[in-house]
Amino acid sequence: MVSEASHDHKSPPAVSDPCRVTGVRRFGRYVLIALSAPRIARRALPGQFVMVGVPSPGFHLRRPISVHSVSGETIRLLIEPLGVGSGALCEVTVADQLEVAGPLGSGFPIDPDFPAFVLGGGIGVAPLQYLADRLLAAHASVTVAFGFRDAQQARLVSAFDIDQLWVATDDGSVGRRGTVVDLAGELRIGPETVVYACGPWPMLSAVRRWAGERGLRGYVSLEAHMACGSGACQGCVVATDSGYRRVCVDGPVFDMTSVEALA
Amino acid sequence: MSPAGPDLRVRLGALELEHPVLNASGTFDVAEIRQRFGEAALEPFPFAAYVPKTVTLEPRDGNPPPRVTETASGMINAVGLANKGVDAFLEIWPIQAAVGVPVIVNVGGRSTEDYVEVVRRIEDDQRLRRGEVPAVAGYELNVSCPNVATGLAVGTDAAETGRLTALIRAQTDRLVIVKLTPNVTDITDTARSAEAAGADVLSLVNTFKALVLEGSTLRPFLGNQTGGLCGPAIKPIALRMVWELATVVRVPIIGMGGIVSGLDALEFIACGATAVAVGAANFLGIEAPRRIVGELRDELAQRGIAQLADVRGRALERSPATGSDNAAGPSRD
Repeated sequence: MVSEASHDHKSPPAVSDPCRVTGVRRFGRYVLIALSAPRIARRALPGQFVMVGVPSPGFHLRRPISVHSVSGETIRLLIEPLGVGSGALCEVTVADQLEVAGPLGSGFPIDPDFPAFVLGGGIGVAPLQYLADRLLAAHASVTVAFGFRDAQQARLVSAFDIDQLWVATDDGSVGRRGTVVDLAGELRIGPETVVYACGPWPMLSAVRRWAGERGLRGYVSLEAHMACGSGACQGCVVATDSGYRRVCVDGPVFDMTSVEALA
Repeated sequence: MSPAGPDLRVRLGALELEHPVLNASGTFDVAEIRQRFGEAALEPFPFAAYVPKTVTLEPRDGNPPPRVTETASGMINAVGLANKGVDAFLEIWPIQAAVGVPVIVNVGGRSTEDYVEVVRRIEDDQRLRRGEVPAVAGYELNVSCPNVATGLAVGTDAAETGRLTALIRAQTDRLVIVKLTPNVTDITDTARSAEAAGADVLSLVNTFKALVLEGSTLRPFLGNQTGGLCGPAIKPIALRMVWELATVVRVPIIGMGGIVSGLDALEFIACGATAVAVGAANFLGIEAPRRIVGELRDELAQRGIAQLADVRGRALERSPATGSDNAAGPSRD
């Protein structure tokens, strides 16, 4: 299996480019932005993110946004308007230009010899299209399950092109009633499976517990407030079994057993 | 004006710099940029001198997360001086220092003895003494670290600031910069004390102690509860402090606090600063420092100013209309 962040020293360096918006699709409050980003598209691995300039006057830190998918010279970003930065990003229109630096961070290790189980929750589903694409391209057996609060949030599903996408909602309005982990319990997941998860902390804790009980190994992609996004400021650390690690360069993908906050 | 454009060269003690723009410690890391963006991203090196992240005697894990977040026109941080300690720092020194500009070591400590020991270990380093690795241009003392004995930062007490400065002065002939904290009643007290004790340069301001709440719980957001505020929100206060100090001390001043443009940098110089440092703006992208230096050059050229010295301290000249009884200084409304 490819070791965590091992691409870091081998892959071509990240770049910082102005990128033109070539497409905007809206799903309720969520926005899928397509950017012409040839150099980033060539380099990006599933699970990596970009730092995006906020298209709004005044001082704004760049925002870390994970790469939703890549095709040709295009990268796509799936965004929920949660604050000043993501709110402004959700207002962009075609032909706008965004400042984008990346790809940054570690990607999800991909090993086609083992079946993959991909779990997402809420806006945490964002990086999982690209992960599913790459797993399928590597001929891995892939099962994907997403969990949402309600039908409004479940509109995120429309941003995905994945055969056999299992969905659960807390209120039962779309798919199974319950959490994505409740859903996982009903799927046929073999003992060799590698688990990949991205979502809110309580979900990631539940996934870790569920996987631990079955002896499954796996990876989580974490989110953190960042300033530089490239290792300098030490602002985005998470407590792990090897001390504080930076989400931006040591992650965002971590072995799920290493993250103390998930224990 | 020369055909090459305005002369941006400045002098800080014995250091001659190509232009007046440095980085604020902890906001720019050459090793990380090299690893992330490649060597080309550092060529040409954007700053006239490089100040790495604060180094302490022992390794420090730093504060619990979260450590940073954006605030109105700025950001707050409470990283807690996370670093690998002076011995590890010296090991990677050849990589850190390979930037083609003077490198100034920013030193922190939990006690006066800590600062002295960090400087002693650097001064005693054999590779540095034999000239096998790039030289240390000077030290910047981060006097905003809490002291374990008193719980207060050295830099909040004028006598302690002077005592620490004198001890470091006795350890080295290199440039000694004291980075003043703005979290004091009167910054001229600590500044005078540092100058009298032998500081070559004063840099100001460090961040302002501040608090951000998490909206849903109404509890402090940062793991450390409080943090340091920086960015454009603090620029007018930082400018005022540089402006107040410029007529009180004779040593050069490095002005910093919310510089995001060439005009911002020029304003600090007009307030009497010899050089400036860019902090939070480094987080706007790796192009930001080069853009700021270019804008500063353009600002001078557009105003027909041939050299920085011609504009330095311009804001200190009081116009008759604003009068000398105005203790708060001229109004800029």
